[in-house]
Amino acid sequence: MNSMPPAASAVTMPKVSLWQDLTEIVTELWQSRELLSQLAKRDIKIRYKQAVMGFAWAVLMPVLIVMAGLIVRLALASVGGIQINPSGAGALAVKGLCWSLFVGTIGFATASLTGNTNLISKVYFPREVLPLSSLVAQCFDTSIAAIAVAIALPFLGLKVSPALAWVPVLVLLLVLFTASVSLFLSCANLFFRDVKYLVQVLLTFGVFFTPVLFDAELLGPRGAPLIMLNPLAPILEGMRLAIFQGHSLLQPLELVNAKGLSVVVWQPWYLGYALAWALGGLAGSALLFHRAEFAFAEYV
Amino acid sequence: MQQAYIKFHQVWKRFRRGEVHDSLRDLLPAVGRGLFRVARRDQSTLRLNEFWALRDVDFEVRPGQALGIIGGNGAGKSTCLKLLTRILRPTYGAIEVKGRIGSLIEISAGFHPDLTGRENVFLQGSIMGMRIARIKEKFDEIVDFSGIGEFLDTPVKRYSSGMQARLGFAIAAHLDPDVLIIDEVLAVGDSRYQDRAFGRIRELVSSGIPVAIVSHQLDRIATLCTDVLVLDHGVVAFRGPPVESIGWYLAGSHTVAVDPLHPSAIQLVSMKVVGGRTFDSGDRVCLDLRGVVREGGPRDEHIVLRVYSTTTAALVAGITTEQCSLPPLEEGPVRIEISFELNLRPGVYAVEPFVVDRVTGNDCNVGPNAYVQVREDPGFIGTAQLRPEMQLISAPAESSPPSLL
Repeated sequence: MNSMPPAASAVTMPKVSLWQDLTEIVTELWQSRELLSQLAKRDIKIRYKQAVMGFAWAVLMPVLIVMAGLIVRLALASVGGIQINPSGAGALAVKGLCWSLFVGTIGFATASLTGNTNLISKVYFPREVLPLSSLVAQCFDTSIAAIAVAIALPFLGLKVSPALAWVPVLVLLLVLFTASVSLFLSCANLFFRDVKYLVQVLLTFGVFFTPVLFDAELLGPRGAPLIMLNPLAPILEGMRLAIFQGHSLLQPLELVNAKGLSVVVWQPWYLGYALAWALGGLAGSALLFHRAEFAFAEYV
Repeated sequence: MQQAYIKFHQVWKRFRRGEVHDSLRDLLPAVGRGLFRVARRDQSTLRLNEFWALRDVDFEVRPGQALGIIGGNGAGKSTCLKLLTRILRPTYGAIEVKGRIGSLIEISAGFHPDLTGRENVFLQGSIMGMRIARIKEKFDEIVDFSGIGEFLDTPVKRYSSGMQARLGFAIAAHLDPDVLIIDEVLAVGDSRYQDRAFGRIRELVSSGIPVAIVSHQLDRIATLCTDVLVLDHGVVAFRGPPVESIGWYLAGSHTVAVDPLHPSAIQLVSMKVVGGRTFDSGDRVCLDLRGVVREGGPRDEHIVLRVYSTTTAALVAGITTEQCSLPPLEEGPVRIEISFELNLRPGVYAVEPFVVDRVTGNDCNVGPNAYVQVREDPGFIGTAQLRPEMQLISAPAESSPPSLL
């Protein structure tokens, strides 16, 4: 009977390449797609069971964001003595939807692992499904609100053009980026319980660092490219330009802001930047999650 | 099916004792190490507050085998099963499980209190790895087995804990796994449910798939398992047939404080069961007890054999040398043959020889135990074997009425 373990050098842990890990993540997730849908259904049902608001809840968040945005713009307009953009409310609604998808998912996903302690320490399944089911549930909520917004869009300055084809691409980027942030934060919160407080603070103030309530050109020629460094900014701005300006995202665009300054609001590489964040971030956080996964049951 | 198996290759598992105080500060270096595997610490040493939960555990379960794992609290039994189900990963060594695992561990872990029984069957089923189509197919059987039919559309939070356990077990029992892992699921519910659950487990075990079971109910282990492994502080202390392993595990559970000033005159050296250890209820068992009587003779001491049930730890019977009118023991080595009838219900029994002071009634010495198993018999009722006899007296014409006296 050994009383000492084999020396570290004698232990041959199989070397696993990052690519092997990625394919494993994808196959495991594909195999647990039914579990993912069941968990998402659970989250959705719980949200609407014994709830006064019902489906109005899904619409509430975007409505609040639109109202907040209108107040901010009114304030700016009265201080600066400038005119409000007529398509402003529409842009606010669309951006508000995207923002609420992001914020709602992150809020639930961060606690998704620590809130399912009993599952993690008792049953085996790919843990990725827990934060991802928060995303799926939030997508359901957002799509209900999106239907309401879509009905209102023709009255809010919708410009029918081929550029609308960019909308699904941007939605995909948003979902991928949100997934990567959810995976990362849920994992981080499991090991470091103070992460969820940090996330709350960041989500509260994040709206000032993201062009949700305002448009990029408002920040002037220097500020606009700076805010575009936020991975969400190209997605939100691209959404606005494609829907309300009919702008093809493969062309740069200059807009004149309320003060009469000409501002470059769009560069084609913004799209690549957002794509890099979405794909790179997703691959990175999925790998991190997958490699940390085996320790979940011990730390949770 | 024939290839399904479980293998533990020299598995070590290290745990941390106490709280884990981690701060965000440590996150980045840890992430870097984890992702790129640089600057590994020497894994074979223990840091402060760390301990080995399993040390060099090595076993294999083949088709047709049912391995029981027993041991005290904290011996590492549940850790073994968690490693098997991939909830934990070993610090060293390798674990191979071929085939789809069905685990009867925490069978209601996935239940959400606000969802109805029906919704939870689907949720829990898919958490356990069942396909939705399969759950739909088995749904009626599951509901039937659980016996909660009329409460199917009631939120699970209004269920009693027994109902929750029954529903959980019903789902788990319909998994059709290639490999089955069971952890102490029989300890819930009323005795009728327990018997039904036990019957279902026995069905699964006898279907020939490899099974690993952890339980404190030693008689269940003795009936279900082909092999039993005893874990002691993370080390495999013994592996063998059920009765021997259970015997090994229970050995020394009764101790006697020997008075150094008045040592007992009789030393009991060994006690062996003659022939096999498994009997049918009512069979006669024969024991061979050897000992040494010291100078001065056995004074006022006699030998008492106590028979304990290993399930309930209850004293079942006592046999004294006086009772059997054994002649007084002489100085020197002695050998006593003892036989008695096992008129007992199925289970595993420990026979422990004690040396008892006839005057004070105190135990003054104890010898090595022997273990016998009374074979499981579904027809057995109650706790004792009465060796009943009945005769049909075909005398119909005795016309005198039965007397009330």
